[in-house]
Amino acid sequence: MCLPNIKMINPKIKFLNVTKSYDNNSKNEVILQDLSFEIYAEEFVCILGPSGSGKTTVLGLVAGFIKPSSGNVLFNSKDIIRPDSSRTLVFQEYALFPWLNILDNVAFGLTTKNHKNNYAREKASEYLNLVGLSAYEDHSVSQLSGGMKQRVAIARALAVDPEVLLLDEPFGALDQQTRESMQTELTRLMTKTKKTVLFVTHSVDEALKLADRILIIGGKPGKLLFDTTIAATRPRDLNNYQLVTIRNKILDKLSQPDLFMGSDI
Amino acid sequence: MKITLIRVAFFILLFSIWYLVEKLGHIPSYILPSPLSVIESFYHGFLKGGYTTAIFSSLIRVLIGYFMALGIGIITGILLARYYILDVTFGKIILALQSIPSVAWVPLALLWFGITDSAVIFIIILEAVLPVTLSTRNAMKNIPPNLIRAAQTLGSKGLHLYQNVIIKAMIPELVTGLRLSWAFAWRALIAGELFISGSGIGQTLELGRSLADMSEVIAMITTIGVIGFLTENIFFGTIEKRVRLAWGLQ
Repeated sequence: MCLPNIKMINPKIKFLNVTKSYDNNSKNEVILQDLSFEIYAEEFVCILGPSGSGKTTVLGLVAGFIKPSSGNVLFNSKDIIRPDSSRTLVFQEYALFPWLNILDNVAFGLTTKNHKNNYAREKASEYLNLVGLSAYEDHSVSQLSGGMKQRVAIARALAVDPEVLLLDEPFGALDQQTRESMQTELTRLMTKTKKTVLFVTHSVDEALKLADRILIIGGKPGKLLFDTTIAATRPRDLNNYQLVTIRNKILDKLSQPDLFMGSDI
Repeated sequence: MKITLIRVAFFILLFSIWYLVEKLGHIPSYILPSPLSVIESFYHGFLKGGYTTAIFSSLIRVLIGYFMALGIGIITGILLARYYILDVTFGKIILALQSIPSVAWVPLALLWFGITDSAVIFIIILEAVLPVTLSTRNAMKNIPPNLIRAAQTLGSKGLHLYQNVIIKAMIPELVTGLRLSWAFAWRALIAGELFISGSGIGQTLELGRSLADMSEVIAMITTIGVIGFLTENIFFGTIEKRVRLAWGLQ
């Protein structure tokens, strides 16, 4: 009898030799090439990379909007066929439903077939409370600030109790101060709810502050360039010796110019 | 309150000028009737019931044409948004059709349907179907893709997705189309009615012309304007404003 090895647990998400290409004006454009990695339950993974490196495509593949051209994207060891509420996505531009008030936005997923329950609003109310916006239940979307909208979007994504939370540069449109408080907030929420998180960003510091593990995707076409685990406890001081070392490694990876031809950084 | 007072004063001034011009200029009543004889026309028209019947018949006609146009337009719009090949062929014709004023269809309509209600309804449909088709098509094409994706990851699909996201996201643009279509239908109604028999606002207007009764003509023009204003601006205008507010567009 041997002790269970962490690698023996099935990964939550598994990319197996994934290539994604689009036909663009009769030219075949490869976005991701031969991407393989595994993400385990309750990991908080940040995907770093310059714009146009295919980070968002990775999220689209996991969410199920996009199908790989070749290779497999597995969720709980099964191929991902279509989007469903076990993997919810938070967008940079919030994508809240403007015709619903805040509470009904959060309750939206709870009105669908799989989650149909009469307590949708009560449950939504709990999640709204979790992100500290109980007082805004009846407000309309346009009355909220950017940071508040993103809190609502996160509450909405968590309300259906997904296994994986996907975030696509969620704080990219926010000012620095709001951004920092949202990072703290997200860390708190994730420690509490214990979700597997895939967080796309192009800010190195954001990744260092949040992640258990950082993946760098870069180049044309996008490949996995770097994979590291961060063991430092939270809240993190970015001047911590270990983090500085990792940051230098990351910056080193990101500054190899030949990998980022055609990107906008 | 102050604005209302200014408005009332403005209208009184307008009527006074009209009255004075007619009185002092010795203009014959078949060229320009006095405002008093127009009011008299209204009084007799509504008292004897002629105007009420005319307005009622006209409204029935325009509503039949309008709702048929909505049915056809919404379905066509959805098809245009869904099928690219339809959009590049039929969609282009629609843009060209929109530049044709409704009276241009009158000869054809009279030939096909005679001087009947059907001719007018045909003209109304032709006019009113275009704006609602185009706005349905655009509304469908302009749904932000991330709204649909967000809904899908939250577990919405099929009928739930259509009812709760796609249709809802289309509503503001659709309402604008409904209002435009109504405005087109209303104008087409009057144009068509000038040429057909039976009772209606257009027919009464045409009758006034043939009897050289200009006070009746002006009474009907006023009626067209008032009903048009009430429906287009007050009714549809209010709905549009409320929708835009509820959708956070204002």
